[in-house]
Amino acid sequence: MLVKIKSVANIGLETLPIEVEVDVASQGFPGFNIVGLASKAVEEARERVKTAIVNSGLDFPGKKITVNLAPADIPKDGAAYDLPIAIGILAASEQIPFMTMNDNRMTMNAIYYGELSLDGSLRATKGVLLVGIFAQKEHVSQIYVPIESANEASVIEDIQVFPVRNLKELVDHLHQIESITPIKHLEVSELVEEVEFETDIFEVAGQELAKRALTIAAAGGHNLLMWGPPGTGKTMLAKTMPSILPPLSPAEALEVTRIYSVAGLLSTGQSLIRRRPYRNPHHGVSPAGIIGGGSNPTPGEVSLAHLGVLFLDEMPEFPRSVLESLRQPMEDGEVSIVRASAHVSYPASFTLLAAVNPCPCGYLGHPRKECKCTDKQIRKYRSRISGPILDRIDLHVHVPVIEVEKLSTQHVSTSPTSKEIRSQVIAARKIQIDRFAETHLPAGRQVYTNSQMGNKLVKKYCQLSPETEGLLRLAIEKFDLSARAYFRLIKISRTIADLASEINILPSHMAEAIQYRQVS
Amino acid sequence: MKAQNKQTGFLGEKFSEEYLLSKNYKLITKNFSTKFGEIDLIFKDGETTVFVEVKTKKSLDWGTPEEMFTRGKYQRVKNMSVIFLKGRDVPCRIDMVAILLNPDDSLLSLKHYENMGLNMV
Repeated sequence: MLVKIKSVANIGLETLPIEVEVDVASQGFPGFNIVGLASKAVEEARERVKTAIVNSGLDFPGKKITVNLAPADIPKDGAAYDLPIAIGILAASEQIPFMTMNDNRMTMNAIYYGELSLDGSLRATKGVLLVGIFAQKEHVSQIYVPIESANEASVIEDIQVFPVRNLKELVDHLHQIESITPIKHLEVSELVEEVEFETDIFEVAGQELAKRALTIAAAGGHNLLMWGPPGTGKTMLAKTMPSILPPLSPAEALEVTRIYSVAGLLSTGQSLIRRRPYRNPHHGVSPAGIIGGGSNPTPGEVSLAHLGVLFLDEMPEFPRSVLESLRQPMEDGEVSIVRASAHVSYPASFTLLAAVNPCPCGYLGHPRKECKCTDKQIRKYRSRISGPILDRIDLHVHVPVIEVEKLSTQHVSTSPTSKEIRSQVIAARKIQIDRFAETHLPAGRQVYTNSQMGNKLVKKYCQLSPETEGLLRLAIEKFDLSARAYFRLIKISRTIADLASEINILPSHMAEAIQYRQVS
Repeated sequence: MKAQNKQTGFLGEKFSEEYLLSKNYKLITKNFSTKFGEIDLIFKDGETTVFVEVKTKKSLDWGTPEEMFTRGKYQRVKNMSVIFLKGRDVPCRIDMVAILLNPDDSLLSLKHYENMGLNMV
């Protein structure tokens, strides 16, 4: 008998419908074959499915079994087809209420997705959130997924998510002997909650300018470069960044969680990424690690930092190839990864935070210590970060040596706490979210911050008074800034105005923006 | 030496035949052979045609009888069975009987493995 079961293939963030066709023929020699461009992991489903069925106390038909994963031209990878194949075999051998092509029962309109263990239980499988989103879009009312991953799909409306512990339980459910309870639907807004942070910004002594720059970066999602001698607090400042970032909005949380679901980085039972991503890859990272890669491309650090922060400590130590590969995502907010088998796009709208020393020894311009580097060494060190990358970083801020007096406790207590800065940032973000509520980028992506504005939006939302415009022109001419820098300066000044809750961009806002542009 | 091996094989087939008949299988033919190879025993188990390959060993010095039934051997039996069935598509399967004999040619153990096809893919 022939049975068709619905499942899906996740290729990048795209979900495609897959029909698992299972034929159990009574004629011909017994055997078990899987066709339909199946990878090694899918081929091995044979052993897992067979053993899981037998170990669940069910009967594995000793007949000629042919499984076809249709459409046959999409490459299928991963172990998520175990469950639909097993259900198909059980249905085709009439061990569960059958669902033939003509019999349009409830069970027919369901997606099965999950990896089987040899004992018949289901293992956590990545990408369940995408399955849920797909089911909602395609009006499939039920999805059967491993219990450990089921929470991922709990935030999707209009579908029933059945958490399956093992094959036996599912068979009983389909026989209506003992039903599996669908998991409770959760509102995304209920899940986005406050989280405690380890480092507070007020623990960093002094560095008011850098803190202000961090605030602007957090408020508008602008890139920030901090430079200064070792030990002045660059890394520590960067670590406080998560504590001043606004919480993820429900829509943002879903966007981020989708990426983490594909990457298989959600922990067991987790349904949503609640805090803004903060990624700080070591400088030994490879281009594929930062951009994403693999024959079935998985998201890299830039995508994992989507809507959050990518912190590159000791930026000049990163390989040139890695830094240059950041150019395209920094400009477009997404990466396209092309491999022989797949072409995948991942969102990568991140805030770049970089920390650099002024020279190899680190003490150039230090008030008391002597720099031991030669001119050539300094030039070589600086050339490791190319002009195009620096041009894309809007905020450059010097993190100087702190005077001993400032380290005293009195000073520390007067500086603002993360909570205070965060409320400013949240207020500024609120203005931005209201501003961009009606604006959508192509491919359905949403604009959340000033930094994501394209030139068209800049013209629409950032009207400059003649006075402000004059100041900007002067700066462009004086510092020989690029056309990109022109638009970026406007965006920064917009964020500074938002932080001050001003509707118009005032010359003072522009002046502050220009101040952060100086490339030393 | 060769004659002795033949004798062992013959004994094994005899024991398997007795065993399968006791399981209510119906014997169709023995030692069906063409120039491509041979099927030791062919039975009917209800509607299903069963092709049986017998492997007999007197000592485990060179491995178990189960080990002697390789993928290649399975394929050969399968090809032979297609010849036997003249290409007809009927319910059928390939079984294997593994036999160990004592030095005095009495039966030490007999194991019947149904449906080898599922383990051979």
